[in-house]
Amino acid sequence: MLNIKDLHVSIEGKKILNGLNLSINKGEVHALMGPNGSGKSTLSYFLSGKDGYEMERGSIDYNGKNLLDLEVDERANEGLFLAFQYPMEIPGVQTSFFLKTAINSKRKHQGLPEIDALEFAKLIKSQAQELDISPDMLRRDLNVNYSGGEKKKQEILQMSLLNPAMSILDETDSGLDIDALRIVSEGVNKLRNKDNSFLVITHYQRLLNYIKPDYVHIIADGKIVKSGDFSLALELEEKGYEEISKTA
Amino acid sequence: MIKDNIVNDTSMENLSIHAKEILLEKNPFKNFKIENYRYAQLHKNIESQSNTVKSPLHEDLTKLTTNISNNTFANIDLKPTIDNWGFSNSDSFFRVSSLVHRTSISINLDNFKETSLFLNISNISKNITIQKKDPQLKTLVLLNYNCDDETPKSLIFDVAENANLEVVHYDVSNKKSFLYFEVKQSNYSNFNFVSFQSNNTHIRNEFFSSLAEKCNFELSGLNFNNFGVNDNYSFIQHVKPSSSSREVFKSIVNNGAITNFQGKIYVDSIAQKTDGYQMSRSLLLDNISKANNKPELEIYADDVKCSHGSTVSKIDQEQIFYFNSRGISKEVANLLLQKAFIIETLDTIQTKDIKDFSIKLLDNLLT
Repeated sequence: MLNIKDLHVSIEGKKILNGLNLSINKGEVHALMGPNGSGKSTLSYFLSGKDGYEMERGSIDYNGKNLLDLEVDERANEGLFLAFQYPMEIPGVQTSFFLKTAINSKRKHQGLPEIDALEFAKLIKSQAQELDISPDMLRRDLNVNYSGGEKKKQEILQMSLLNPAMSILDETDSGLDIDALRIVSEGVNKLRNKDNSFLVITHYQRLLNYIKPDYVHIIADGKIVKSGDFSLALELEEKGYEEISKTA
Repeated sequence: MIKDNIVNDTSMENLSIHAKEILLEKNPFKNFKIENYRYAQLHKNIESQSNTVKSPLHEDLTKLTTNISNNTFANIDLKPTIDNWGFSNSDSFFRVSSLVHRTSISINLDNFKETSLFLNISNISKNITIQKKDPQLKTLVLLNYNCDDETPKSLIFDVAENANLEVVHYDVSNKKSFLYFEVKQSNYSNFNFVSFQSNNTHIRNEFFSSLAEKCNFELSGLNFNNFGVNDNYSFIQHVKPSSSSREVFKSIVNNGAITNFQGKIYVDSIAQKTDGYQMSRSLLLDNISKANNKPELEIYADDVKCSHGSTVSKIDQEQIFYFNSRGISKEVANLLLQKAFIIETLDTIQTKDIKDFSIKLLDNLLT
């Protein structure tokens, strides 16, 4: 699915990723943990194609294609999804309209006709209900005056509607209360199947109690210093980043 | 040129002595005219452009105006540019312009049974006075389109006590036009004005309003996708106590065009408890276009609430990225953000059919 080899990325001359290797297969859930400034968000933004990053070396293969050849919207339409840590507020654009436009962009890419209005209404209603999102919120402007939790739920709603092959969740747990964390995690778990993959970026082990990863990686100074299974997350919680990074 | 006619011809019996002094001696149009002239000089090629610019609306609007004269308004199929005006009632619109052929025209809107009225001012070079006395809300749609006559036109609205009037003005695809609107509101009246301006090469609209006691005046302007110079000037006078005015102008500037907005709220010393609001915002899409916004307040009363704001900005690339990351192309994202920016100005339209049509027209004209 996603194969990153020896990735070196800098931003305004400052090196952030420093020879990162990561391989994610179909159906797998990987967790990426690391201290502040270790390059977690840079990795997620770079993968989604944001401007302002410079790649010095390395390669990224996504489903047999060179990911770097694809524009941001092409990556999305090819099934790559980034759930933002800080989703943008878009005043003047109604949430449901935005969702419909996004779905239709993907359908167009797949050569399908636009989604039927009734079908869309049904789909969005059922998905929103599962995430405990009120119909009123869908009528409001996208992310405007949403609480932190509502914004994150909105990201997961978008994810479930677009049904991506490869999802990156960038600190989706930050700013969530315990109930919202459970709802969001259940939303993610429902999407898990043998054909799609997840990269869950987080600081804390708590999220991983809900979304059980197949692999856990620890990132420090722009590269992965240790990989393991779920027990690594528990060990990390106990010892802290510094200790683990030292032993690596 | 325009100014001289206007200030001298305008009946000013409603104004206080102080307001008259301000108008005649301080001349609010003066500075603006000079600036405007300078900008126009910078863009001498406007003249040549005006012959070459082809509006996508051209044919459809010609068809539209012909159809209106046949009184088949509701059933016109205007695809592809305008799908359909879509008004629910076949005779809900009326052509007033056929009545208009005298030198000085006065139209009393209460004489029409319809609640929505249509007036094509494109080729009328007379001064028109429009009267509204009844409290029942009427919506008047004004169309100014593709006129060859460059003479300044003036429309004077006389809104009587307790009367309610809404005017939606489409200024689309003009080579050149100069319009002067004057609104005289009596006590307890409500007036809502929306000015929709697009596809123009050189237009100037002046809005001159005078409010009596406990009136409400709303002025919303949107202009986008223009060529050359687009001017809006407004002068809102609170000459009696306890009235409110709300003014919002939004412009999207591209094609190397220049948009100018100058708006003044004047509050007379006796106009206590005035509530005035003014906002002008511009979105610049390229590096060669210009937006000049000049908000002004002139207040002589001490118990008033008046605020104003003005911004000039570009499209936020972070927002574009967010759209892109959901598979929505840059082009579509750009259009949606432009629409999101400007659509607020149509919110005040109270007649649903006309509001829907305006949004449709906006969709068709945004590029």
